[in-house]
Amino acid sequence: MSTSTETTAASPTAPRRARRRRPDWSELPRGALLAVYALLIAVPLVVVLLTAFKTSSQMYENPFALPATPSLANFAELWAGGRIGTSFLNSVIVTAVSVTVTLLVSSWAAFSISRIGGRLGTFLYLFFSLGLAVPAQVAMIPQYVIFDQLGLTNSLLGLILINIAVTCSVAIFILTGFFRTLPQELFEAAQIDGAGTWQLYWRIALPLSTPSLAAVAIFLFVMHWNDLLYPLLFITDPDLATLPKALLDFKGEYTTNYPVLFAGVIIASIPMIVAYVFLQRWFVAGITAGAVRG
Amino acid sequence: MNSPRSLRSTLPVRSPRATAVGRRSLLTAVGVGGAGAVLAACGGPGSGGSDEPAAAPEPGGEASGTVNFYHWRSEDKTVLEELASAFTEQSGVTIEQTIDPSEQYQSTAAQKARGGDIGDALTAFRGTQLDQFADLGIFTDLGDASYVGNYEENLISPGRHEGAQLGLPYQLIFNMPLLNTELAEQAGVSEVPGDWDAYLDLMDKLKGLGVTPIAWPGNDPANAFQIINSMAMNAGPDDQMFAKIETGENKATDDWWIDALAKFQELSSYFQDNFSGSGVDGVLSLFSQGEAAMLPTGSYQIGQVREAGGEFPLEFAPMMTNAAGEEPAFEGIFNSTFILGINSAAQNPEGAAAWIEHLSDPVNAAAYGDGTSQHVTVKGVEYQNEDLKALAPWASKRTLLAPRFQFLNLDIRSAIENSLIAVATGSTPEQAAEEAQKLVEEQL
Amino acid sequence: MAQGVTASRAAAPPRRRRRRRLDPVLLAFLVPAAVLYLWFVLWPTLQAFQYSLTDWDGLSASFGWVGPDNYEKLATGDSVFRKAFGNSLKFMLTVVIGQTVLSLALAVALLRSTRISIFLRALFFFPTVLSSVSVAFIWSFVYDPTFGLANRLLAVVGLGSWQQPWLGDQDMAIYYLAIVQIWFHAGQLMVVYIAGLQQIPQDLYDAAALDGAGRWQKFRFVTFPLLQPSTVIVVAYTTIQSFKAFDLIIASTGGGPNHATEILATLIYTTAFRNFEMGYAAAQSVIFMVLIAAITILQRKAVSLASGGSDR
Repeated sequence: MSTSTETTAASPTAPRRARRRRPDWSELPRGALLAVYALLIAVPLVVVLLTAFKTSSQMYENPFALPATPSLANFAELWAGGRIGTSFLNSVIVTAVSVTVTLLVSSWAAFSISRIGGRLGTFLYLFFSLGLAVPAQVAMIPQYVIFDQLGLTNSLLGLILINIAVTCSVAIFILTGFFRTLPQELFEAAQIDGAGTWQLYWRIALPLSTPSLAAVAIFLFVMHWNDLLYPLLFITDPDLATLPKALLDFKGEYTTNYPVLFAGVIIASIPMIVAYVFLQRWFVAGITAGAVRG
Repeated sequence: MNSPRSLRSTLPVRSPRATAVGRRSLLTAVGVGGAGAVLAACGGPGSGGSDEPAAAPEPGGEASGTVNFYHWRSEDKTVLEELASAFTEQSGVTIEQTIDPSEQYQSTAAQKARGGDIGDALTAFRGTQLDQFADLGIFTDLGDASYVGNYEENLISPGRHEGAQLGLPYQLIFNMPLLNTELAEQAGVSEVPGDWDAYLDLMDKLKGLGVTPIAWPGNDPANAFQIINSMAMNAGPDDQMFAKIETGENKATDDWWIDALAKFQELSSYFQDNFSGSGVDGVLSLFSQGEAAMLPTGSYQIGQVREAGGEFPLEFAPMMTNAAGEEPAFEGIFNSTFILGINSAAQNPEGAAAWIEHLSDPVNAAAYGDGTSQHVTVKGVEYQNEDLKALAPWASKRTLLAPRFQFLNLDIRSAIENSLIAVATGSTPEQAAEEAQKLVEEQL
Repeated sequence: MAQGVTASRAAAPPRRRRRRRLDPVLLAFLVPAAVLYLWFVLWPTLQAFQYSLTDWDGLSASFGWVGPDNYEKLATGDSVFRKAFGNSLKFMLTVVIGQTVLSLALAVALLRSTRISIFLRALFFFPTVLSSVSVAFIWSFVYDPTFGLANRLLAVVGLGSWQQPWLGDQDMAIYYLAIVQIWFHAGQLMVVYIAGLQQIPQDLYDAAALDGAGRWQKFRFVTFPLLQPSTVIVVAYTTIQSFKAFDLIIASTGGGPNHATEILATLIYTTAFRNFEMGYAAAQSVIFMVLIAAITILQRKAVSLASGGSDR
């Protein structure tokens, strides 16, 4: 099987075009792919945005049309329901505390693992990495029982604790990888100057790893803000629901009143969108770091 | 557990005038018509295992605070809010509503309400859910509560379980397809079909008119399968056809069910395009805009049809499977559901009891009925709502208590119900029935 | 395992370059994470195995030990479980193949950092930051057969005959949900591929060009092999992610119609928290874990075979 037949078989037109020192229209497949995919992403998002400012019947008439009389009625209806504000606040509390504490305890552990080094360090590293392999649905039933016994269901504290417990593995994994790359000489020099372990962590390791910490923070932010599983398991009191859970509940309350649901989607997504627009580089780095952990 | 009862209610006693008028109301008539079926439906073997349910507290003078009312009727939210604010003025108790969609309520309410964090007062569906609530001890016994006497006795018997009145079915529903009679008349049909040939004739004529004869929400099980009620009422060997599937006496592969499936398959050719993906909101819109002539769900959607701008006259058109000239055993379907009860883990049981007493008052029940276009099971209610008045003749017809809720095992019910989708999307009735029976037997 | 710890602790420090006793502060640093992780992740995971041998209903105080009964029923008498198992595999395969190919194609197309490329990268990445619930709502609307975007667009472009019931089609619904999952996350993996592509030295392409390689050949013989590490990451991550599409499915179809979109993750949830069969659900979850482990091992094997053992 020669190279040329293989090429022709795989892509009958490409080589002929390539030989001709790229005429403009060889860009056509690329342009088409990008254009189609851009539409595929953008159209649903734009329609959601438009629909949130329409009435149900306007939406049924023509979902693509601009709202004839843009109205905030859907947002008002959602707000009057009284739950969205509470849920928003719950999400802010749970996410802020979960991200901060996870970062803190994970950076401690990661720092410790990288400093201990040797076989024990490797063992600890693997020990925490085990958590990456456990699917949430396996631990979830006993977790529910444990949290129920501890009185941590229907509690924001419960959500925070489970968030930390299940995401510290990823954070430790990424941060340990980074701490290991820090030059040992820096630590040795500081130790000679009499710095204790805490100072090594606080004065040297942390400042040097701001980019990794930021990436992990963003990754955790997205995970915790969007999580549905644990609120679904642990929270039945609507006053303690976080946004994804509240959105799911709205689906019941407004049946499939899409304009109101989409107003909810927009409210729930605003913090993410704002953060994404301003911190795009960190988002890409953070969420990708989450993927690369595999 | 319960605080000492205060026998004196803070609620004003209503004048008996409404009650006197109400004696002749449609509810009484339906109650009589359906009594046999109601009693029969409740006579089945209980599942046992539960302890005696705790007695419910009487609504007391000391009721205060907030009561969480957990239910599945998002359509009723506003009306209930109005009733609640009047209640708050009288009693000082605030009502907060938690609402799940019916499908979700059916499957998660027990888990969510069990701890008492929501649902001081809550509702149950007839059948599986009430049974589950009883097993888990979620409902308290309302047997001694003074307001039980406000209800039509026959209509609330589905709220009874092993001798205890665990809940009070509040709504009287007719789970039969709604027909836009304006379109039917345009198509040249002035009478609701009474047999299968006439039914298909109506379908053909509606199709000829250029409208979708039936808008079926194929991807919304809770609503889609309401049609199983009228589909089975005259097809089954007796009125316990579904209960007997659970006991193994009847099989999905029996001729009567295969025959019913074949008829449903015929009917499905009159559904809107791609019906198997439709949700209830979409078909409601089709029906309300006059683009579809029938909405095969039930009376509980009349309020939504009106709200969505449908102004045409309505009539029930149950799926009549009987041959022409053959006298059908039943002319239609009714159900008493939305079973009100008090959570045994309620944080505010006194408040919950006071709220149920409030709803049980004939004047308030009438306000609920008128506001939501739903009949209620409370005695002595006089409706102002035009739809409720127009559909009053159904009270004196031979109606069967909705057989769909004879199922106590949700998996068995789903297996049977899904055979409808199967035949509508290409299976033969025999294949679909066999598939269903296989799943039923896994559960037996 | 405990022996392993002692052994390594005893053996490691003296031989390593720096002889330091374990610093108590360093040990204290481990404690908070370790406690939470042991208590709320590892311990419950082990308990799942224990639960799986009982008939506990999650509500009563008592339960019975039923030995392997739950597993026996799963293996022989539960067609819903079999369906969910099959759906999990269908969903995974579709997502893994679709998402890997698409994200690679997008990455290649957007490699050059022109202004429009940078904008498109940001756009394609965007869905990743949304919550699964939001994505589920958006796509429920897209897929509504009567009013939804998909059927309307098909009608507009003259493909009315292609209109579908979408999520109502029991044979196809799981694949339509796989499309949603790909839409949701392809942009994320595109970024991983772009990072991988940017590390390929230009000289290799120049050398290939000197040898007369065309565009496809450059891709086939330079880009693709050198991207192997990225592909490993993308495939592994996508696999895990597809098994965890729980949120998306719960919020869109709830596993319906008739379990057509039920995957193991949703079935375990339903069994445990809606049907109150905790013991049985735990048995399902154990099978689920074994399945994931098996697939992970298979993938590792496949990768090491494909790369001749050279790439770790």
